[in-house]
Amino acid sequence: MYNENLLNNLSFKEYRLDKLKKYNKLQIPKWKRINLQDFDIPDYREYNNLQLPGHEDLDIRDMGTVKEDINEFTRYLRVNEEFGVDKKFVTLTEALSNSGVIIKIEKNKRISEPIRLDFKMDNDNPLLLDHNLIIAKRNSELTVVMDYTSNTKVFHSGVTKVYAEDNSNVTIIKLQRMDEDSDDFDSNIAIVGRDAKVNWVSIELGGKITASSFITNLKEDNSKADLKSIYFGDKDMEIDVQYKMNHFGRRSESNINTKGALKDRAKKVFRGDLDFKKGASRSKGEEEEYVLLLDKTVKSDAIPALICGEDDVEGEHAASAGQINELKLFYLMSRGISESQAKKMIVEASFKPVIDKIPYEDLKEKVEENIHRRLIDEKS
Amino acid sequence: MEKKKRTYIADIQRGIYDQKNEFKYKYKSEKGLTSKIVKEISREKNEPQWMLDFRLKSLEIYNSKPVPTWGPDLSDLDIDNIVHYIRPDADISTDWDEVPEDIKKTFDSLGIPEAEKKSLAGVGAQYDSEIVYHNIKQELVDQGVVYTDMETAMKDYEDIVKEHFMKLVPPNDHKFAALHGAVWSGGSFVYVPEGVKVDIPLQSYFRLNAPGAGQFEHTLIIVEKGAEVHFIEGCSAPKYSVNNLHAGCVELFVKEDARLRYSTIENWSKNMYNLNTKRAVVDKNGTIEWVSGSFGSKVAMLYPMSILRGERAKAEFTGITFAANGQYLDTGSKVVHAAPYTTSNINSKSISKDGGYALYRGLLRVAPNAHGSKSTVSCESLMLDNESNSDTIPIIDLKNDDIDIGHEAKIGRISDEAIFYLMSRGISEEEAKAMIVRGFVEPIAKELPLEYAVELNNLIKIELEGTIG
Amino acid sequence: MNKKILDIKNLRSKVDETEILKGLDLEMNKGEIHIMMGPNGAGKSTFANVLMGHPKHEIIDGEIIFNDKIINDLSVDKRAKEGMFLSFQYPEEIPGVTVENFLRNAKMTLTGENQGVFAFRKVLKEKMKLLEMDESYASRYLNQGFSGGEKKKNEILQMVVLEPKLAILDETDSGLDIDAIRIVSNGVKAFSNDDNAILVITHYNKILDYLEPDFVHILVDGKIVKTGGIKLAREIEEKGFEEFK
Repeated sequence: MYNENLLNNLSFKEYRLDKLKKYNKLQIPKWKRINLQDFDIPDYREYNNLQLPGHEDLDIRDMGTVKEDINEFTRYLRVNEEFGVDKKFVTLTEALSNSGVIIKIEKNKRISEPIRLDFKMDNDNPLLLDHNLIIAKRNSELTVVMDYTSNTKVFHSGVTKVYAEDNSNVTIIKLQRMDEDSDDFDSNIAIVGRDAKVNWVSIELGGKITASSFITNLKEDNSKADLKSIYFGDKDMEIDVQYKMNHFGRRSESNINTKGALKDRAKKVFRGDLDFKKGASRSKGEEEEYVLLLDKTVKSDAIPALICGEDDVEGEHAASAGQINELKLFYLMSRGISESQAKKMIVEASFKPVIDKIPYEDLKEKVEENIHRRLIDEKS
Repeated sequence: MEKKKRTYIADIQRGIYDQKNEFKYKYKSEKGLTSKIVKEISREKNEPQWMLDFRLKSLEIYNSKPVPTWGPDLSDLDIDNIVHYIRPDADISTDWDEVPEDIKKTFDSLGIPEAEKKSLAGVGAQYDSEIVYHNIKQELVDQGVVYTDMETAMKDYEDIVKEHFMKLVPPNDHKFAALHGAVWSGGSFVYVPEGVKVDIPLQSYFRLNAPGAGQFEHTLIIVEKGAEVHFIEGCSAPKYSVNNLHAGCVELFVKEDARLRYSTIENWSKNMYNLNTKRAVVDKNGTIEWVSGSFGSKVAMLYPMSILRGERAKAEFTGITFAANGQYLDTGSKVVHAAPYTTSNINSKSISKDGGYALYRGLLRVAPNAHGSKSTVSCESLMLDNESNSDTIPIIDLKNDDIDIGHEAKIGRISDEAIFYLMSRGISEEEAKAMIVRGFVEPIAKELPLEYAVELNNLIKIELEGTIG
Repeated sequence: MNKKILDIKNLRSKVDETEILKGLDLEMNKGEIHIMMGPNGAGKSTFANVLMGHPKHEIIDGEIIFNDKIINDLSVDKRAKEGMFLSFQYPEEIPGVTVENFLRNAKMTLTGENQGVFAFRKVLKEKMKLLEMDESYASRYLNQGFSGGEKKKNEILQMVVLEPKLAILDETDSGLDIDAIRIVSNGVKAFSNDDNAILVITHYNKILDYLEPDFVHILVDGKIVKTGGIKLAREIEEKGFEEFK
């Protein structure tokens, strides 16, 4: 079970001990929309599939091998604000991460080619608790692609902390393509400095239960964040996505744009919060969610909240849902395309702008192929 | 740096709303809530046994339920210090001249008897816990329309009341519904027979004069097949330093092809906890229209709900909430689409100023069988200063694919460019802002009967009076 | 009687830290129609906004003298009261305020006289007829849901109702079809008299087919670089602004 003995050979022991105590006091959350009542966190296992990418201009380390004496990173590990899908899963990973990467880019360094992290889960590595730390110092620029895959039923609970210091530009692209029986809990937080920008791209395709949370704290003046995401749910998938933009700095800007499609008996909850804290004057936030409902049996919840403690802001949100626009369908079908083919084209077309953000051709193709395949066996 | 001006907006002088009368009563219950008090209320009213049983059952439920914590802070509301029942020193009358002088003066200054003469088909007036005046035009009586107080309805239409009373809002719905079930008193009963169209409105006015008291009126409206009616509800109270509580309950039954418009202008004083529950159920082709203005109260939790259970039933909601200093107004609208081809349109606006908290909380639920349904929800919030708060929390819950749903929300302040545009035509800054605020609420004002639209404009004028600083 | 209505001397302005007007001089007399042309980014719209007193623009040098009065420090509503009017390039939408209500209000503020509802409605209807506007516009919300052309017509309607001494038309002709340009021009011509002056800021010169300007000014990089008659505008039509840059 999850006890102190597990920590013996691990890095950041003090930090982990503290988190483990908290973890053991917490219960599996009672969620209103996704039922976790009989959910058990599987036993601890090692994860040995991590391959550290190399880059001469970057400080890249394996979270597990960092020695106790490197306290430089500990302060980045500690996040005061509450974040993530739930405290239970966040503290689990913070205490017992069995994998994870620290990437630090020094000030004034700009690296255009993306850094790619592949998290492959399989029968020998069925448990992934990855704790990642991405630190972009002043004026730096960095893109990280994180691809989560499995070929069997696995459990994943991840925590990624992003620090975009002043005037930096960080892009995090996350793909979740796990096996359809797997459970995925992914918690992300970014702290954005003055004139800095964080770009999130999230692509949720796999898993049985998928809960992911992206929280961005626009701490300083002129900080910006952009989040683009797509999700595709079929069969009995349950998806819960939370995107939250906390505006603290003046003239901070955020944008959330989510597109999704649901078929079979898939269930989805979208939570999008724009929270303008008092003092965040002249800030702007926009959010939009559009979901295509492809079957009668799907269930779609949306809670796009606007929270305003400051009057000098512009906040807007829109959520819409429905079937595919009939005029569009008719137009395509008038050119001889079948109805199911036309529907597929429309879903794929709406996902395309987000998929195009993936900087690797092979990944792009795999994502497109995944969606294509699952759209085809419609009504089978 | 460009210096930004702030508008100072003075606090409301509520004038006639704040006129207090001397606290006179025939009977009042002790403070707090016990089965003894509930039995006494029932005895005072000479109620049948089933109603007493219902009250006692509700009290049990009340005691078993926790105070809800998901919304505004209710910890200041001390139920044990609320007087739940006050019979005013007056009997119900159909003649204003028989209403005691001080009570009549209150309703006179609120313009109620005047409005009755000019533009209403019937009027009810409640003072503290009991109705003191109820009247309806003879021609409506001749057509079979019933408009009377709930106590009279309990005697004269016991079967209808028994069949409908707290069936839409059962006491176990939430703590304050249970409280209502235990101590309800007063309110109006309306029955419009099949095919009868009442073309001028009926209006009930609820006045709470007593300090530290609760008002728990029950409004039950049944609109039969093909019938139409417009019901207006007005509420006010003078301000006291102790908290008052309003936990009314409104149950509306709109039958096939029927139409009901339910308008409310709520201007409770700012020591009031307004925890009101309103619900309508609409049959095939029927329409419920809610028009709601929330101006008063210290804390409000008010989410009128429409259950569209018949095919092609419709719900419209038009609401405005104005939260000023010391107010936490948590309002919104709920719609359940429970049948095919049902339609709902929600249009909500809020204004917050001077530290006020305006919150829109909405629910839109589409059941699996509600194919072909449509809904549009639009929420707009205007913040007049930096001390205020404004949140929008809509919940959209869909279980059907063949639907068309749109939700939009916007929060912001008055745009500098719009002010410049209006000022370029010679209008002062203050007037330009007032013009924009009036324009903002215009879509709601125009839904109200004329006297209420005037009252709404007055309320806004009073709220906005001030100087530019 | 003094005929000079507007006298601008060495006007310089900036927005944020960027200088846009860089020493602009312009004189206008009553009874005159002036056209101001210039390439994109010359400062045409800035000039209109500075004249009207937009708070975003700061005057850093020079004077604007309107009817013998320095108005540099007057707020926009005070300038309107003095008799200035700007037809906006992008008029704001004001939901909930009807065209009629708004104009009656503005007219009362400008004249200081009460305007009877029915008397005012009569005047408004006449002016709308002149501009070939449907009467229903009077009860629509100010600019809300108006097409580009309708917004421009509505600006001219406001001008003819409010009867300013100096009307500045900022690209009122842009985005209009030939028919609408004719109607707008007719409105402007009907409005023009010996006691007022009109400054037409434009990017195109189609409107010149309908209006007969007394002067044409070329604005380049925040300054008037050439002034002439209608021939100058024709020249621009052929050769463009290249030689003035």
